[in-house]
Amino acid sequence: MGVARALKGLRGWELGLQKYDLQKGKTVLKVDSAVSAVRPFMLGAIVRNLKLNEEEVAELMEIQEDLHWGIGRDRVKASIGVHNLDGINPPFTFTAIKPNAMKFAPLGTTKEMSLWEILKNHEKGVQYKHLIDWASEYPLLVDRDGKVLSMPPIINGELTRVDENTENLFLDVTGTDYEAVNKSLNVLSTALADMGGRVETVKVEYPNRTVHSPNFTPQKMNLQTRFVNDLLGLKLSQANIIESLKKCRLGAKKNGKEAIEVAIPVYRIDIFHEVDLVEEVAIGHGYYKLKPTLPSSVTIGKQHPAYIMANRARQIMIGLGFVEVLNFTLTNEHLHYKKMRRKAQKPVKLANPVSSEYTIMREDLLPYLMKNLAENKHESFPQKLFEVSDVVNQNSKMESRCERLMHLAAVSSHSSANFTEIRSAVEALLSNMGVRHWDVRAVKHPSFTEGRIAALNVKKKQIGIVGEVHPEVLNNFELENPTAAFEVNLEIL
Amino acid sequence: MVELRQNEQKVLLTLNKLGGKASIDRIMKLSGLAHASVMRATLKLSKEKLAQLLEQKQTVVTLSSEGKTYARDGLPERRLIKSLIKLGGKAEINRIVKETGLDSQFAPIALGWVRRKNWATIKEKKQQMIALRDPEKGEDERFLGILKAKKAVIIEEHSEEKQIVADVLRRRKLVEVEERILRTLKLTAKGKALVNKGVTIVDEVSQLTPELIITGKWRETKLRKFNVTAPGPAFYPGKAHPLQQIIERAREIFLEMGFTEIRGPLVETAFWNFDALFQPQDHPAREMQDTFYVSDPKTGKLPSEEIVDAVAKTHENGWITGSRGWGYKWNRKEARRLVLRTHTTAETIKYLSKHRNPPIKVFSVDRVYRNEQLTYKNTAEFHQIEGIVVDKGVTLRDLMGTLKTFYSRFGLKKVQFWPCYFPYTEPSAQAMVFVPQLKSWIELCGMGMFRPEVLAPMRIEHPVLAWGGGLERIAMLELGLEDIRVLFSNNLGWIRGVPLRR
Repeated sequence: MGVARALKGLRGWELGLQKYDLQKGKTVLKVDSAVSAVRPFMLGAIVRNLKLNEEEVAELMEIQEDLHWGIGRDRVKASIGVHNLDGINPPFTFTAIKPNAMKFAPLGTTKEMSLWEILKNHEKGVQYKHLIDWASEYPLLVDRDGKVLSMPPIINGELTRVDENTENLFLDVTGTDYEAVNKSLNVLSTALADMGGRVETVKVEYPNRTVHSPNFTPQKMNLQTRFVNDLLGLKLSQANIIESLKKCRLGAKKNGKEAIEVAIPVYRIDIFHEVDLVEEVAIGHGYYKLKPTLPSSVTIGKQHPAYIMANRARQIMIGLGFVEVLNFTLTNEHLHYKKMRRKAQKPVKLANPVSSEYTIMREDLLPYLMKNLAENKHESFPQKLFEVSDVVNQNSKMESRCERLMHLAAVSSHSSANFTEIRSAVEALLSNMGVRHWDVRAVKHPSFTEGRIAALNVKKKQIGIVGEVHPEVLNNFELENPTAAFEVNLEIL
Repeated sequence: MVELRQNEQKVLLTLNKLGGKASIDRIMKLSGLAHASVMRATLKLSKEKLAQLLEQKQTVVTLSSEGKTYARDGLPERRLIKSLIKLGGKAEINRIVKETGLDSQFAPIALGWVRRKNWATIKEKKQQMIALRDPEKGEDERFLGILKAKKAVIIEEHSEEKQIVADVLRRRKLVEVEERILRTLKLTAKGKALVNKGVTIVDEVSQLTPELIITGKWRETKLRKFNVTAPGPAFYPGKAHPLQQIIERAREIFLEMGFTEIRGPLVETAFWNFDALFQPQDHPAREMQDTFYVSDPKTGKLPSEEIVDAVAKTHENGWITGSRGWGYKWNRKEARRLVLRTHTTAETIKYLSKHRNPPIKVFSVDRVYRNEQLTYKNTAEFHQIEGIVVDKGVTLRDLMGTLKTFYSRFGLKKVQFWPCYFPYTEPSAQAMVFVPQLKSWIELCGMGMFRPEVLAPMRIEHPVLAWGGGLERIAMLELGLEDIRVLFSNNLGWIRGVPLRR
């Protein structure tokens, strides 16, 4: 329906604000003070004379779900109940009762359940119980005779089920945020008016005040002609802008020489700043009519030093005959530590991993290169791979207590791969990167064979390691060829 | 004129020396060439009709280990009859066997053959044997003698009688028989004529050596001609990953267009990833199912109070922006939570909070994360292309033009702009590109101008044009992939096979 409304505007069949008739009704909705602790706000509306087809009922459900999710913030701020008015009798009362005080049949069943049972056993109860289960009394909407319309914000009663034959509706919106409740009701009732319903207000009686809902009075906003033209890069006249806004089904009229007074229908909950109206002008005018231009300022491009360095290293590695691979930065402790014969360190951990494969961030590149070799056993040898990319470590000095570093790692795997070969490679890298002095010192490392592993130091700082991968690590990856490897931190070169 | 290589000439001359017909073995022996070399030369000589290769089936007979013993000591039946005659032509069997010194297991065989050859009779009752004669050497024994002397005999070269004997011996398991093909090379008239004309052998080598070059010996040496059409072993060069090549192209285009590259952390505070971009704290997009949150470490630090305060107020009531804000109580604890950045815009806004003098043009082509399962169209990690222009008086049309220029250099020329909603830009649009190979419009990137609620807290005074889109989608189009996982599977066969980007 909203689409039809918009289309009529853009095609120019109907311009400006959609007119909605709103009749003053006599239905009373009482809001008991008991709800103030758990779900303080409620508004309602009556819609009569509907003839809904199956598609429209489905669309109604969809709008309701969108509102629950969007402004309702998954039913926290607002949630909606749609009821068949025939068969229930006003005045309606929104109250709160003890969890076991009474029973009713929730939507979709004939079995009566207590409120407590619904939270415990009903699918929707389990899903949304966190919204009310902390309160001593749970919200309930009942009619004159005490018949249950719904248990907001959990579920409606079976009593007021809506189908294609329903002609008269009672809408209820409850929530913790009055604005969200009000907007949700307005969007839903205007949509039903678009479907041919006659909307009637409800008199909502709070303990200390009375309001009539819904309220279809458009919101007013001022828009400056210049503001529009500045953002869009156009020279539209005041009249052009008014016409474009009207095509978007907004009310618009001159307000002095420069300004335009815009009337925003209540269903346009997405407009809350002048800038939102500029986009409406662009849509009304037509995006396709906007001719692309280029900014006139001259600027000079500049690479980030980290990538200059990465590309120098990349060039050398390619020259040495290594093929580049690209892996994820997300990994898991089994691959990262266990298969490499290492004790788990203190990596950056995910709170909500999506699979057991990706639970931590890698601290070095080598484990993935070993995995790459394992997955390429069927390809011809020698296999020489490298990766120049990100690792992430915890570092309390940083704003996010994590540090991103550019590493380079390489592996050479073939029947005669050894320390000498890989050391020559890493030294070729260092000297071509412009490092003048480095020293190579024998160290121990669980992933490498003892006596064939060395640390590389520049200015007394360790920048990396080079060695022959331990045979047990090769077994762990089911590799059959000797493999030599190095990894260096490019950022401290 | 037939041109012969060194080995071919050698074989030809050797064959002539051997009388114009010889087995391959003999040619090998005399020429000193390896079997494979002679055969290769033979092939060429046959092809040129200089020689003819004859193939003949041969049956080679050699002694078995048992046969070797008998060839040395005599057949058991011969030894038995000898002993019997020595004992006077009549004796008890046990005694004869003892006298012979025959192993007891061979005794029944010997007795059997003595009787079969009719050399003696056996009186069963008395267990006596009586010699009938002093037999002469049989054909079988003579043949064993020949085998002993020659080691191997080609049976086809002997009489039919010998062939029958050989068969008997084979059945006695005293000889082993093997069939093979005898290859003989025979000089043809054409070959003979060539030899007579004179063939001189020039030294030929397959590999030029430093020695040959330095000494000048290469002048007297013939470099063997190779079959240059024969396939050689594959060689795989070092190369950049195909996706990296596309990342580099995107960076180049930005640099060509005068953009400065920025780089920020992968783990970011929710403040920069969401709050600074006016995304309300209770917005579903911030939920766990879209964003990776970090549990260790859990929280980060917030920037200056001035910025934090302005962001808080903007969320709550719009602050000085003229907006109504989101109307909720902003929570600084929520803003300190750590996330894997969901977009590079987190770094952009941080950069803009520190660099406010226009013109500013910055970009990044960098890693971002989305809480997604790995499927053919989604990965939890991917690369975002992001471009930002800040300048006095820049407009939505400028954004459209900049973006169009960028993508057209990627070969994506047919671009359209459709209205779209994004939380931190207004006006916003979606750039769609027509892809001829798919015959459809696909989404290229989201774009828009930063909202006042984003600009004001960072004290940005000029319009900010922004666009961001996925890199992998472009890569898949360029590389003709339908499964995004190929880009991160590091299949060596695939990487080795993909040509460098044009």
